[in-house]
Amino acid sequence: MIYLLLSLLILTFAGILSYKDYRISLILSFLLLFVSLELGGISMLICFLALLNILSLVAIRRNQISGVDYAMVGLMTIATIYSFITSDIAELLALFVVVSVPTYLIIMVDEGKLNVDTGIKYIAFMVIATVLFIIGAVVLYLGYGYQNSALYFFGLVLLLMGLALEVGIAPLHEWVPDVFANANPISVSIIASIAKFVPFIVALKILMITATELTSSALLIFAVVSAISMFAGNIGALTTQNPARILGYSTVANMGYILAAFVAITASKDLVYYAIAGALLQLFVNAFGKVGFFNAIKGGTWTASSYILSFSFIGLPPLMGFWGKFFIIYALVFSNYLWLAILLVLNSAISVPYYLRLVRVTKVNVPNMLTNTVASITAIVMFITLFPPTWFVDLVAEVFK
Amino acid sequence: MIELLLAVLFLSPILGSLPVAFAWLLEPKRDWSRRLPILAVLGLFVSFLCTLYILFNFGELNLEEVHKFSFDWLPGFNISFTFIFDYLSRIMGVLTALIAFLIGVYGLEYMKHDYRLGWYWFFFNLFTASMLLVVYSDNLLMLLIGWEGLGLASWALIGHWFRDDDELSFVGIVGRKIAGLNYFWSPSLGAWRAISTIRVGDMPMFFAIAAIFFLVRNLNISEIPWSELAEKIGAAGIFLILLAFLLGPFTKSAQLPFSEWLMTAMTGPTTVSALLHSATMVAAGTYIFMRLTWYMKPWTIHSVGIEVLYVLVLFLGLISALYGASVALGCRERKVLLAASTMSSLGLMFATASAGFWVGQIAILVAFWYLVTHAFAKATLFLVAGHLIHETHDRFCVGGRELAKHLKLAFAATIIATLCLSGIPPLTAYWVKSAMDGIMHSLEHEFGFIPLSLLVLTSAVYSAFLAKFLSLNFLKGEYHVKSHGGGRLMGIAYTAMGSMLLLLLFVYLYFPEFLEFVAEGFLPSSLAVGLVVLLTYLLTLSKPTLESPIGKALGDRLYLAFLNDYVVSKIGWSLARLVDYANKAIDIFCHKAVPKAFEMSSKGIRRVQSGSIELYLRISVAVLLVLLTVAIALGVIM
Repeated sequence: MIYLLLSLLILTFAGILSYKDYRISLILSFLLLFVSLELGGISMLICFLALLNILSLVAIRRNQISGVDYAMVGLMTIATIYSFITSDIAELLALFVVVSVPTYLIIMVDEGKLNVDTGIKYIAFMVIATVLFIIGAVVLYLGYGYQNSALYFFGLVLLLMGLALEVGIAPLHEWVPDVFANANPISVSIIASIAKFVPFIVALKILMITATELTSSALLIFAVVSAISMFAGNIGALTTQNPARILGYSTVANMGYILAAFVAITASKDLVYYAIAGALLQLFVNAFGKVGFFNAIKGGTWTASSYILSFSFIGLPPLMGFWGKFFIIYALVFSNYLWLAILLVLNSAISVPYYLRLVRVTKVNVPNMLTNTVASITAIVMFITLFPPTWFVDLVAEVFK
Repeated sequence: MIELLLAVLFLSPILGSLPVAFAWLLEPKRDWSRRLPILAVLGLFVSFLCTLYILFNFGELNLEEVHKFSFDWLPGFNISFTFIFDYLSRIMGVLTALIAFLIGVYGLEYMKHDYRLGWYWFFFNLFTASMLLVVYSDNLLMLLIGWEGLGLASWALIGHWFRDDDELSFVGIVGRKIAGLNYFWSPSLGAWRAISTIRVGDMPMFFAIAAIFFLVRNLNISEIPWSELAEKIGAAGIFLILLAFLLGPFTKSAQLPFSEWLMTAMTGPTTVSALLHSATMVAAGTYIFMRLTWYMKPWTIHSVGIEVLYVLVLFLGLISALYGASVALGCRERKVLLAASTMSSLGLMFATASAGFWVGQIAILVAFWYLVTHAFAKATLFLVAGHLIHETHDRFCVGGRELAKHLKLAFAATIIATLCLSGIPPLTAYWVKSAMDGIMHSLEHEFGFIPLSLLVLTSAVYSAFLAKFLSLNFLKGEYHVKSHGGGRLMGIAYTAMGSMLLLLLFVYLYFPEFLEFVAEGFLPSSLAVGLVVLLTYLLTLSKPTLESPIGKALGDRLYLAFLNDYVVSKIGWSLARLVDYANKAIDIFCHKAVPKAFEMSSKGIRRVQSGSIELYLRISVAVLLVLLTVAIALGVIM
């Protein structure tokens, strides 16, 4: 907790000083990330992701809040790392808000005019999402406490709705393609990457805290929603030409995959670890991939890097995307959700054409150095699972004891 | 020692044929390579010596003596190379090798000027070796090697004159059409008809062998526990397995309705016809059936399935026999006439052997000795026919006394062969046929006089067309010899072959094993049948031709060719069309329907994206309400 307070102080300081020079904030935010490194393996990956986010923000440094944006990413990062540690429901809900609110600002910034239209659309949905999520969590907790199944299911559905609106799970994904296509690519890359972790972690933790014998039957709703999301995202992307829109639908599909992992949380402990490991890996794939591709949209990158990112999204071994899906499928098959596993594989196949198209439509002749660097680093990150990532499962097992 | 014997037995024909095969590949049609076939015949001779050794050196030749030699093949599956030397295989082996050798000698002269000697001799000897493998093998999987070798070699030899440029090698009157269908067949077409028909039977046979292995884990014919198998899978099961198995022999031995390929197999060289029709290929089918019945001992098993099967084989055989004989009676082509007669004889062999179900092992013996008698007689007649075609340059029955004077040996051999084969007392086939009469007579209790009357009718027709063959080629008709001499080697070969019939006659009358045959021959009823046969023989000899529409239809093989060339091909084409439709459907499905469906649904999903926040919120509220309803419903139920 002391770390959190300390880092908040530093970040406030950085935000204030950035009115003098944005570089102060940049450096302070960077330093802060190194402070958080002590918290373990998954935090290192999160920090690395945040580092790339901050680095890519440099590409739009002439925006309205230049300097403050780095601090905001830093704040979100601290909150994300902290969400892995805490299991207090109030703290979790607070973290949910802490991660959500900075994105309201980030989505609007642009190099020219402030992106108000998109911002309003985004904020409207986020506010509803936050409200539903928090009410849902509280009602769920109440239902759990009173052992009232009606309350429990009511809360669960509200929570799911809040989560769906927050991260963009179909059929509540409508804001995603619009916002992704109209906002600045770098802004979108932040809400599509670092901001996606906390809602899932918080929802997962609340679900695990309040798990009763009713949970397994309620999970069917999760399975159905996840299947809808996969299909809506993948099929929606099939005929889309605008790269940012394709990435929007790709997010919808990926959120579906990650939600599918939730279905396994009432299974045996080993399977739960595999499910969470799969979900987290898929979140990382989605995050790094989105950072890479949005940078490619912004300033271009090498074709090789985009191919690697695409292959990882499709799920070719030994890239990270393969292992994410593999762990999820493994958990699904052994927790009697074979049909969902089959749908997941089917959806991976459906996604092949548009990921390959994405490579083509983001191709530029001379890539910008900054965006190319960021995108190529994300491509390299996809190779960290060159050896089967059982170590990742061990990390997850340690965090979610 | 035994390994060496077996190696020499099977490999010497193949090795002997390799020099000419390779010489022809390198430098065809050279004088020196035309001398190499003698090595091939030498290989056949060595093989023949091996079979003689096997006949005389493995104990006494009686029904009980069995020697088996096993060599590991797939020990984990209880499958081995098992060779069996028993009564059937020892005699059949000698028969095969001897006939192949004599035909080989004949072929040295007959095929002297051919354009593809390498091909011819390689496949001729492969044919013989394959047949020997079939004869001596006890293991069904090993037998299949020989069986497939027979199929391959028969295709290669029937289509030997693949250029289709010599009218002499065709079957049917060239240019003739019936109902729009070409009613003549070229060598390449004949080869195709042969191999395609055989495959139809081979496929179920493979499956039957696989099923037998699956059920009893043993593929040695002499060891398969048939009665246990019959109990295990019931009457319908054993019937189906045996029927599927016998479809192989039925197609190879050209029983109805698979007979057409045999008739057009006459497009091959005459030597091939002779070998194919006497001791190899077609005989393989009946031989396998006899061997199966020999060790199955169906007379000891009480199974309705097996009984139904044997009734089927009995009547199929008798009807095929009558059909073949009638067709031969109506036929004007020398070789096709003989081919139809072979089919008839094979029918008799099947029928007689199947009677074993009711009368026991003796029926198999009768069928087997009929096979032996028939093999020598038919080989002789074919070789004579080949010489006649060579001499007259005509494949139809033409000739006259002048020709008979010119080809004295051929004339004599034909007389001996026809007399001995038709069953005229007291010549060779008479004793076997008498025993056959006796067996069919003893079926009176089950089927009345139907089998016996079918047999007698077949015998009468059989002797009639043999007499017709003799009469049309050597007695009646005006043919003026335009001699070009030669033919000595051919003459020696068929004379030797024909004289084997007299040797057989001696064997039947001298050895006590055949006492039952001879005793049957002295029965008044058998003598009566013999007299009928003699009568039809003499009658046809004096009046060999009779113009009638029935005869014409018989000569056209009762238009059974339509089954092969029209019905089957229509079925094939409709299958092809079906596949084509399926293909197109798959194309439309994969290339049109699926992409279109995805495109439509993709556009549907994207149509929501109007940019109107009001619409989005409405959707969200609707989804929220639906999910809440579900949740409350769940909460109430739980």
